[in-house]
Amino acid sequence: MDIINEARQLLVQEKVDIFLGYRELDGHLIPHGYTRDNLDELEGLCVSQNRYPLEKTATHLAKKDPDLKIGLVARDCNQRTLNVLYTWNQLDPEHIKTIGVNCCPSPFKDHGDCTYLAPKTTGEYKKEHGIDFNAAPDLLLDSMTNPERFSRWMYEFNKCLKCYGCRNICPVCFCRECSLEHEGLIEPGALPAEVPIFHLVRATHMAGRCIDCGLCEDACPAHIPLRLLYREANEIVSGIFDFQPGMGVEKSPFSIIGDKIEAELKPLDA
Amino acid sequence: MTIKRMAFVQELLKFMGLEGRLHLEWISSAEAQKYVEVVTRFTEKIREMGPNPLRAMTQEVR
Repeated sequence: MDIINEARQLLVQEKVDIFLGYRELDGHLIPHGYTRDNLDELEGLCVSQNRYPLEKTATHLAKKDPDLKIGLVARDCNQRTLNVLYTWNQLDPEHIKTIGVNCCPSPFKDHGDCTYLAPKTTGEYKKEHGIDFNAAPDLLLDSMTNPERFSRWMYEFNKCLKCYGCRNICPVCFCRECSLEHEGLIEPGALPAEVPIFHLVRATHMAGRCIDCGLCEDACPAHIPLRLLYREANEIVSGIFDFQPGMGVEKSPFSIIGDKIEAELKPLDA
Repeated sequence: MTIKRMAFVQELLKFMGLEGRLHLEWISSAEAQKYVEVVTRFTEKIREMGPNPLRAMTQEVR
């Protein structure tokens, strides 16, 4: 059964009140909410490589009306996000229905996970002065000394326009009050955005939460390798706590207060 | 929770190139000797590493 019919059945059988998918507008797919009142519109429901955080829209809708039943098309990354949102009580799994669609096409895998998507091209200048988008976090750690890594990251962070695009697009960013808008932490109106606090605050909040969808890096107008930074943040988390965000409905190690862990203090002379 | 967060931030700072500038130690109010020892050792370690490059950078900008 194709997704149009599946979505229609969900709506008609009142399993969902709104179905979040995409529709075409001027050759580009944009997110659209299909409802029972406009069933004819469903003919336009489609998916492509264009990605938007539909789960984020679902979170906003659920905030307004917690009883609203929401359906949405979901790739692998959307499913991981939903798991994160369930564990943080932002969405109720009882009220969410998904229709699975293929992951973004890639030259490496027909139904590839987005991690396998064609690597972004890194220009010559960036290769020389910045951080390669496609570098692996451990490669960066092994191939550069502390001062080298420091100056590279400072170079990247200094490009920040403080557009908040990374936060706004992020499907697992849902706090009512955002520390990045706290006047005491981030000076309003100052550019570049409090290097490196702005980015490290975000990286810290991504720990145990980021599901590596890569939307932040796609959205960044300054080409900061955010995905790499958050990927490392979560490699630290999985290294220390053996936790992978979005893989199940297990709670993040940072959300459990008072549990016993085996961790040892780092020795001073290490 | 503190030890979890600190373990994470220590590794994140290492990735940023600021390794070894953050330390956590449990010291009771009855352990003055230990307090002195830890603070002295940490101070010496930091002095050896030199000033925080971040400070130099922000002063440059402002």
